[in-house]
Amino acid sequence: MEIDFGLRDLFIISPLIALFVGSLPPLLLKVFRGNKEINLAGSVLYALTGIMVAFGLMLVMERTNSYAFSQALKLDSAAVFTSLIVLISAAISIIYAKESSFSDRGLFSELVFLIMNSTLGMLVVIMSNDLIVLFIGIEVMSLCLYMAITLTYEEQLSKESALKYFILGSLASAIFLYGISFIYGSVGSTYLGQIGAVAAELISTSRIFLIGSIMLTLGLLFKVAAFPFFSWAPDVYQGAPTPLTTFMATGIKIVSFYALLRWFGTNFLTSDRTIVIINILEWLAALTILFGNFAAIMQDNLKRIFAYSGVAHTGYAMLGLLAAGVGGDALAGGASMIFYLVAYAFMSLAAFGVINILEKRHSTLLNVSDLKGMGYSKPWLSAALTITLLSLAGIPPLMGFFSKFFVITAALKQGYIWLSIWAVIGSVISVFYYLRPIVNMYFSKDVSELAEVINYREKRFTIMSVLSFASFLVIFGVFADKLYMYVLRSVMVLF
Amino acid sequence: MFVLSLLIFVPLLFAVVLLFTKEKQVKYTALAFSVAEFILSLRLFRDFNPGSADLQLIEKFSWVKSFGINYFVGIDGISFWLVLLTTFLMPITILGSWKAVEKSQKTFYVSLMVMQTTLLGTFLAMDAILFYVFFEAALIPMYFLIGIWGGPRKIYASVKFFIYTMFGSVFMLLAIITLMVMSTTLEGGAMSASFIDFYKLDIPFVGGTLLNSQTLLFFAFCLAFAIKCPMFPVHTWLPDAHTEAPTAGSVILAGVMLKMGTYGFLRLVLPMFPEATAYWAWLLMLLAVIGIIYGALVAMVQPDIKKLVAYSSVSHMGYIVLGLFSLNLYGVTGGLYQMLNHGVSTGALFLLVGMIYERTHDREISKYGGLAKAAPWFTIIFMIITMSSIAVPMTNGFVGEFLILMGAFGANKIFAGVAVLGVVLGATYMLWMVKRVFFGTYGELVEKYKGKLEITLRECIVMAPLVILVFWMGLLPNHFLNWSKVSLEHLVNNKDNYTLSYSIESKKIENKNIIAFKSETVK
Repeated sequence: MEIDFGLRDLFIISPLIALFVGSLPPLLLKVFRGNKEINLAGSVLYALTGIMVAFGLMLVMERTNSYAFSQALKLDSAAVFTSLIVLISAAISIIYAKESSFSDRGLFSELVFLIMNSTLGMLVVIMSNDLIVLFIGIEVMSLCLYMAITLTYEEQLSKESALKYFILGSLASAIFLYGISFIYGSVGSTYLGQIGAVAAELISTSRIFLIGSIMLTLGLLFKVAAFPFFSWAPDVYQGAPTPLTTFMATGIKIVSFYALLRWFGTNFLTSDRTIVIINILEWLAALTILFGNFAAIMQDNLKRIFAYSGVAHTGYAMLGLLAAGVGGDALAGGASMIFYLVAYAFMSLAAFGVINILEKRHSTLLNVSDLKGMGYSKPWLSAALTITLLSLAGIPPLMGFFSKFFVITAALKQGYIWLSIWAVIGSVISVFYYLRPIVNMYFSKDVSELAEVINYREKRFTIMSVLSFASFLVIFGVFADKLYMYVLRSVMVLF
Repeated sequence: MFVLSLLIFVPLLFAVVLLFTKEKQVKYTALAFSVAEFILSLRLFRDFNPGSADLQLIEKFSWVKSFGINYFVGIDGISFWLVLLTTFLMPITILGSWKAVEKSQKTFYVSLMVMQTTLLGTFLAMDAILFYVFFEAALIPMYFLIGIWGGPRKIYASVKFFIYTMFGSVFMLLAIITLMVMSTTLEGGAMSASFIDFYKLDIPFVGGTLLNSQTLLFFAFCLAFAIKCPMFPVHTWLPDAHTEAPTAGSVILAGVMLKMGTYGFLRLVLPMFPEATAYWAWLLMLLAVIGIIYGALVAMVQPDIKKLVAYSSVSHMGYIVLGLFSLNLYGVTGGLYQMLNHGVSTGALFLLVGMIYERTHDREISKYGGLAKAAPWFTIIFMIITMSSIAVPMTNGFVGEFLILMGAFGANKIFAGVAVLGVVLGATYMLWMVKRVFFGTYGELVEKYKGKLEITLRECIVMAPLVILVFWMGLLPNHFLNWSKVSLEHLVNNKDNYTLSYSIESKKIENKNIIAFKSETVK
């Protein structure tokens, strides 16, 4: 095999290079200073510069629609759009980390390095056009995160969650890789394009391909925490430091769903023989929604509530995914799924931002009752959290409502009537726990001490980010069309 | 121009202004704003033409283009009075809760203003998704009104209210989306969410079975509106919400918010699903009649005045639904008129109960008695409103219930007969309550607060317009009905193929949108 690449290939992966280069100075400077953490703001600045350069390069290449490294990587408008959201969430997570209790510890540079490289892995996943590259991207992104979670070494909870995540994640990766080998065995190629050309036919004729594609799907469903593979999510979300939870909830979810969308884009589900698989996936989506919501009702810890609600939101995004996977008006399904994930990312960034502001130490277990009386002592922050929660619950005219509306419309267009009914029932159930923080913030007479002491100066960027994401939820709710059309135009290349 | 949009969004603007007003001045500003809004709404008398059944004063702009969702508002005889009822009750509510609200006044008046926007939006929206947005968004300010300023069980009541009503409306959302998907079969082929296009849809219907699209859609809408009304088996959120809500919350809830349900029946269910409506009308009439009798019987045994009024609402809303599903002109006209009556009289009752509660901080009927001697003027006003509530001739309630019963007799004699029984029961529970509260020997509370019970000048100003309306609407119903007559006749006469036309300039805009959309998709 001839390995040949030119400047053009390097130009296409230039955002990845920018991210990697941006991640080095914090770590290197620390080494030169004799392993001392000195200039936290400097580290953040290097990282953000890297991310911004990557962001700019992505924007420049928005319309390229080109391949690199003998078609192993593909950069099109859909990939660019998804990458932009991932980069935003990485940047915000780094800012949250700077202003969280994490920065007191001596390991901040390492954290920045790991977040940046995890983002790099994510971009590889998004750009991959080949299953092996996809796998490498997933591993880079996951391994960096496993390590990042363990960085808070003195906390029992984070150690436990990192180990849990690592073991289960490795299992999922193994299944995923095994699936790839089956597919390679039947198709003779790992390129998504070549698989797509024969998938619809092979699925009904070749049992090996069927097993391979099921394994591949399961591996990815683990990453998005769908039923029944969600059990790691609450523990990991709770155990990980909040900035990392933010990053996981937004980044990993978007990227894995994008990979699923690319995989479903091979149209392996469009043949008549796959109705059983579609039915199973439908039930998985419905159960994801219901289990996530019911489990969230039982929780008192805010991070666990958002973790389980994240599971439920996975189910909603699966509606869009399924609508995209069965042919017909697949474009509406894909676009609605991406829109849903963007909305979910914004809501998570706002919600976890509030948690990040309220946490004094990493080990703080923030319960719903700790928000008592916050509505009066911190009116702006509470208003932002209220908007976020209402948006998560899908109350119009916020962005969360339109994201649900788009996925449900896409699903109904494809005839998923029962799935849609379960979805709306799930959103009623979700109101139970989304209202609880609001009840505590506004309707309670006593005031918890936690809400009293917030150092605004120390956390000003986090507060700014929370407020702006909350306002985005309103703006992109009322003007949802503008963003949806943009998503639609970006995603069009995939179908 | 843009009268309707102004009406809808000016309160929202006011809400923003109130946010930056000083806490001490906020209630004066809020009152001034609500009066200004009412005066603005009076403009409708000049701009609205009652002689035409068309949709008027329409505004239509593309909102979510790819789904055919428009910002589409318009007014006809059906929504005309509900809009005025909303703007009319708001200043009264604000003046009525002048002293009742002490903590975080700013949030309170901001909530009321946002409330007004969502209510007016619901009545004026002509696009299903826009309608749904306002319909759902109305929950949020009401949730805060009950939750922050409510009574001891406010958290339970507010959460129950929120989840109950949301449960109904999500199925309506599914039905709306289904209709939108169906609308692609209409000419043009683009998705549309406008009511006008929904009216044109010919939805397959099979009588007697549940699993056909028109029946399912019909019940999805009915569930949402029945919960909002509320009708008999799904009414249980209402007594809790009313008992715990502050006076202003109760007045808006009973006066306007419940009408969102009955308005929905009239605007959407009747014209959109004519076959299903004709086939299943008996079921809704049955539930309405059960609601009338059940509400009255439960009201009779309530020890709490406010809960009694709340259950009387269940009974009264039953009449409205009974009238609407009689599907004849008398019934539908009566139903619409009773919506206004109920807004006026039950709103007034809640205000009066609130006034007395402000003084004694207790609503237990058995602790009152002899109030007539302690507060004669208050008693007179309370009696007038009671008369209106139990539909004594010359008051507004009589006209509404009479028309409804006329209509019901035309549709089903048995239901009508039972409903007449409800009138008697209504008189029983109200008058019995009046007897226990106002007459007899002094109760412990009246004894305790004897000197302070009489109505004040401010409260007289609050009640005066309501009392005037009780008689005006009772003696000269045509002053009111003439504005709605043509629209209602149009609805009843064309109920099998109902359509609403609107003027031509707007159609041009619509065509432009379609063309723009097409070129968009082609590209």
